[in-house]
Amino acid sequence: MSKIKFTLNGKECFAEEGEFLLGAAQKNGIEIPNLCNHPSVKIYGACGLCTVEVAGVPKLLRACSTKVTDGMVVNSETDRVKHSRKVALELLMSDHDGDCVGPCSLNCPAGTDCQGYVKAIAGGDYHRAVEIIKDKLPLPASIGRICPHPCEKKCRRQYVESPISIAALKAFAADRDLEENTYAAVPAESTGKKVSIIGGGPAGLTAAYYLALKGHAVTVYDAMPKMGGMLRYGIPAYRLPKSVLDAEIKLIGDAGVEYKNNVKIGRDVSFEEIKDSSDATIIAVGAWKSSSMRVAGEELDGVVGGIDFLRQVSLYNSGEGDAPVIGDRVVICGGGNTAMDACRTAVRLGAKEVSVVYRRTRAEMPAEIEEIEEAEEEGVIFRFLRNPAEFVGENGKLTAVKLQVMELGEPDASGRRSPVAVEGCFETLEADTVIEAIGQSLDFTGINGLEYNRRGNIVADEASFATSIEGVFAIGDATNRGAGIAIAAIGEANRAAAVIDSFLNGQMVSYKAPFVSERRLDNIDFSVYNKKDRVSIPKRSAEIRRNDFDAVNLELCEDAVKSEAARCLECGCHDYSDCRLIKTANLLPIEPARFDGKKNVHKTEQRLVSIERNNSKCILCSLCVRTCNEVAKKSILGLVGRGFDTVIKPEFHNDEIIVGCRDCHLCVDVCPTGALKLLK
Amino acid sequence: MKIVIGQGSCGLAAGAGKVFDAVSEELKKLNSDIVPGVVGCIGMCYLEPIVDIYDDNGALHRLVCVKPTDAPSIAAALCGDLDAVKSLEISPEDSSFLEKQYRIALRNCGIIDPCSIDAYISVGGYSSITKILSSMTPEAVIDEIKTSGLAGRGGAGFPTWFKWNAARQSVSDHKYMICNADEGDPGAFMDRAVIESDPHSLIEGMLIGAYAIGAEEMIVYVRAEYPLAVIRLKEAIKQARERGYLGKNILGSSFSCDMRIKMGAGAFVCGEETALIESLEGNRGMPRLKPPFPAQSGYKSEPSNINNVETFANIAWIIQNGGEKFAALGTPDSRGTKVFALTGKIKRGGLVEVPMGMTLRDVIFDIGGGLRDGREFKAVQLGGPSGGCIPASLIDTVIDYKKLGATGAIMGSGGMVVMDEGTCMVGMAKFFLDFTAKESCGKCVHCRIGTKRMQEILTRIVEGNGREGDIDLLLELCTAIKDGALCGLGQTAPNPVLTTIKYFRDEYEAHINDKKCPAHECAALLTYKIDADKCRGCTLCAKNCPVEAINGQLKAAHTIDTEKCIRCGQCVKLCKFGAISIE
Repeated sequence: MSKIKFTLNGKECFAEEGEFLLGAAQKNGIEIPNLCNHPSVKIYGACGLCTVEVAGVPKLLRACSTKVTDGMVVNSETDRVKHSRKVALELLMSDHDGDCVGPCSLNCPAGTDCQGYVKAIAGGDYHRAVEIIKDKLPLPASIGRICPHPCEKKCRRQYVESPISIAALKAFAADRDLEENTYAAVPAESTGKKVSIIGGGPAGLTAAYYLALKGHAVTVYDAMPKMGGMLRYGIPAYRLPKSVLDAEIKLIGDAGVEYKNNVKIGRDVSFEEIKDSSDATIIAVGAWKSSSMRVAGEELDGVVGGIDFLRQVSLYNSGEGDAPVIGDRVVICGGGNTAMDACRTAVRLGAKEVSVVYRRTRAEMPAEIEEIEEAEEEGVIFRFLRNPAEFVGENGKLTAVKLQVMELGEPDASGRRSPVAVEGCFETLEADTVIEAIGQSLDFTGINGLEYNRRGNIVADEASFATSIEGVFAIGDATNRGAGIAIAAIGEANRAAAVIDSFLNGQMVSYKAPFVSERRLDNIDFSVYNKKDRVSIPKRSAEIRRNDFDAVNLELCEDAVKSEAARCLECGCHDYSDCRLIKTANLLPIEPARFDGKKNVHKTEQRLVSIERNNSKCILCSLCVRTCNEVAKKSILGLVGRGFDTVIKPEFHNDEIIVGCRDCHLCVDVCPTGALKLLK
Repeated sequence: MKIVIGQGSCGLAAGAGKVFDAVSEELKKLNSDIVPGVVGCIGMCYLEPIVDIYDDNGALHRLVCVKPTDAPSIAAALCGDLDAVKSLEISPEDSSFLEKQYRIALRNCGIIDPCSIDAYISVGGYSSITKILSSMTPEAVIDEIKTSGLAGRGGAGFPTWFKWNAARQSVSDHKYMICNADEGDPGAFMDRAVIESDPHSLIEGMLIGAYAIGAEEMIVYVRAEYPLAVIRLKEAIKQARERGYLGKNILGSSFSCDMRIKMGAGAFVCGEETALIESLEGNRGMPRLKPPFPAQSGYKSEPSNINNVETFANIAWIIQNGGEKFAALGTPDSRGTKVFALTGKIKRGGLVEVPMGMTLRDVIFDIGGGLRDGREFKAVQLGGPSGGCIPASLIDTVIDYKKLGATGAIMGSGGMVVMDEGTCMVGMAKFFLDFTAKESCGKCVHCRIGTKRMQEILTRIVEGNGREGDIDLLLELCTAIKDGALCGLGQTAPNPVLTTIKYFRDEYEAHINDKKCPAHECAALLTYKIDADKCRGCTLCAKNCPVEAINGQLKAAHTIDTEKCIRCGQCVKLCKFGAISIE
């Protein structure tokens, strides 16, 4: 055997005489994508992904079956090759009926592996569950309590009866983990790079945690006396006991993050000073200004902003301030979660009559349904189709709210029916305090060179989180679209940490959402599952809980937790992390939706001794067939049917042939995707 | 007096068997000692059953569209009263069907008895194998074929001598000469006709090839859907073996070679040579990667040569008449003749063999007689599902591999499906995609899923659900499938779509943008309307509408509920006043 020379993608390469291009390329450090090739079986040429252009040959050639010749000039990345490969991948994915990850994870703004930790919880392994959660989210005990859980909204179990109680499971596992054998990731060796984070809320703390684990020296600055941001000063203690938050913040500190409280930028230190002394700076200051309703009388004594009110109560509860004086009659304007927090807090402060005024109806309220129900139980009065027209006062002190009566008009572009004022129809509601809870905005100005958008939020690149200032990044409520839910800010922070880590290493790589395969709902048969009710979370009675700030929810018992976790349908694929198909599909910007059409959908079946076969995911590379035939010498599997309906089954539809299976699992090992699963 | 009755599959399907029985019966009654003879197909399938009477002067009286009830007249003619069959005799116009043809591959079809080796020998059969075994080296045979310029008639048009030479050069004790008789193109039936009508010419052609490459075993891979061909070929093999044309030391030479038949199970892809080999070996019919080519490693990994039936049917003639005589026919790029199967809306459907270099107009109009019912010629699909359509504007295209290829169509195996203005070209493309998608073996991604997606897109277009951008999406898929599919089936599957988009893009656009089918063929896009002025209110249409979509009082103009209408066309057929129109 003599060495021959060839050129691949402009690089001089060497191969043995008679060697095939695919292997030769690999030996020369160039990967040509392929899915149906395996060294243990004969060349097959089905996937069509390894095509290359060879100078002087008009056709595309398959690298798996083309022998290298001396002086051959090959290119595996031309536009024509990439187009062919892209279409092949799109076609493959258009007939691949599987979920890479569960819809829970996909709908989690932080991408937490819900299915993974729910499975660990079902097995009673809370330590492992927290390890999985903390890959994306460092505050699981806190978030588990307060998250509006988008994961549950997409949970497929709802099509059987009701979704898994994912958030409560997370809180349970995280609580157990805090009690004993607490999970602690080991930070990487120090890089010597310094990162400053302005704002110690969920976004800032999350970014701090992941950057500290990467070995960077992270300092978090916060204007408030304690870390936690809106989790501490916005969310009432009856939803999130501060002892839980304290414990989780301490763990982040233990990972090497330095905290500096009571430091306000522009007052105690200049922004430039922080920026210039850091290799990277993150602005994660949140949105701390209550939005104005632009209603006459707003300046009256007794009119307060929702988050200002909540912050004051929080400081009071921790012994750092006085209780707000709100009187007996409190009116909350707004229908979101802040409005719910405000009205329930007002109840707890002893107000006799707490009303929520909302311009639409209950059905249109943006607040979580549980929050609304709990507020109702606690005696809050809801006044729907009413909108404050004027705050009325005497001697500078609020006495009443004049309400415009509304009705629902035509649906708007979003499909929601817009409220329309009923001409000349007003009501008056006596009030000692009005809490405006209609929104919040950024309170962080005066930074030279920092670009803001029309809403007054900091402009940050959606993929890199970079601001208009080099080396300065921004995340969370302070940016782009403004305030959102905590888990969304945490997701941004996690992704930003990876981008900033790459920036600190000298080569910034923006975040790119991976392409994943998702099943269509109409392809799933939910009737095969037995119904099993969702766990109900025990709560303290409204009569009692309305008098204090202690937690509303009581702890679940362990059996209930495990049995709830066991309800998970495990939608996500067992093979996602090793799947060669999805890795290859992510090499090019593919759009399989272009080729949406019929999919081959099959029932999962236990075909061979300990192997589960899901033909819906099969890409017909036939590696299992060929391995069984050529390596195991058993010839148990075969291709059955023709064309698009071709499927891998026991040869000749003969189920009895299975008795020949010696359970060697070689087929499972070679499967490039999740079509085969070992059941032991 | 002599009588022969055409009994190819086409003749038998038209009732030749019953005619044969009736004539035999009639002759028996008359105590005549004339026994009707059997021949294969003369190619004028549209005139079957055909009865040829040779009078005592040897003159041919060809009777067409014969029915069993004509038997007494035929018997009378055989007894001397030729006037009795005057009305059955072929018209001069129909006789011209054969005039412009030049028959080499079909030289004996419809003329000799396919079941008789003596009939074949009497027209010079087996003289070529006799000649080469006594006087030609294998190299000389290959040279003669090279001189002839014969190219593979199965579709690819690859020079036959080159393949033979490659197989000859491959060193092995076991080589195979294989005949591809898995004729699968819808609308092509020349291979069937050759085997049914002249099986010995196939055997002799293969023998010459086997001698040339050094093979001792010959296999004919024939589709099981050709039972008559299998019976006649089996009989021919038996006869040839008995006469020493097959077996050990053929005609006393050192050349030994035998032949067997392998029946295919009906997968179109098995016409692809590597899939054919897989099937021969007992595996699922799926193509192999090339290289290695069959000439190096084919059946049982031994050097193998595969040609199709029509190619072999030319060989003995070339050896007998010399390669130069063959090469003198045709064009510089395409030598000799080619058999075409004329089908579709053509007036005279059947098999024709013409020298290369003729125009499509010559074949379709001069030989085929143009279109039926005075309809207008719109396009012709050449080469079956792998080929493309050629529009009326290119009717003067010369029949030549290169010139046909330049239109986007291919010579292919010679299927010519003629279409008139009532054929929807999108529907036509969909028909072929339905075929290839179904016949895809399922191995490679581009073909298995790609053709399915093309079929889905075409389906939504003809059903009125086409979307903007669908044409571009189809074109993109076409390119990708041509580039990426593993074998010829997939690589050529986009051709019908590519050519119909090339020549009839406006029809695609009408379907997608205006939701109209200009050819009035796509049911989902038709609207049936009643002209109130013409409608007499007879209620016939309303009574017969299967979905009760027609409303109206007696003697008052009716209307059609287009929501309910299923566009079956029943009302149009029934209306005596021509009041119902289709838009």
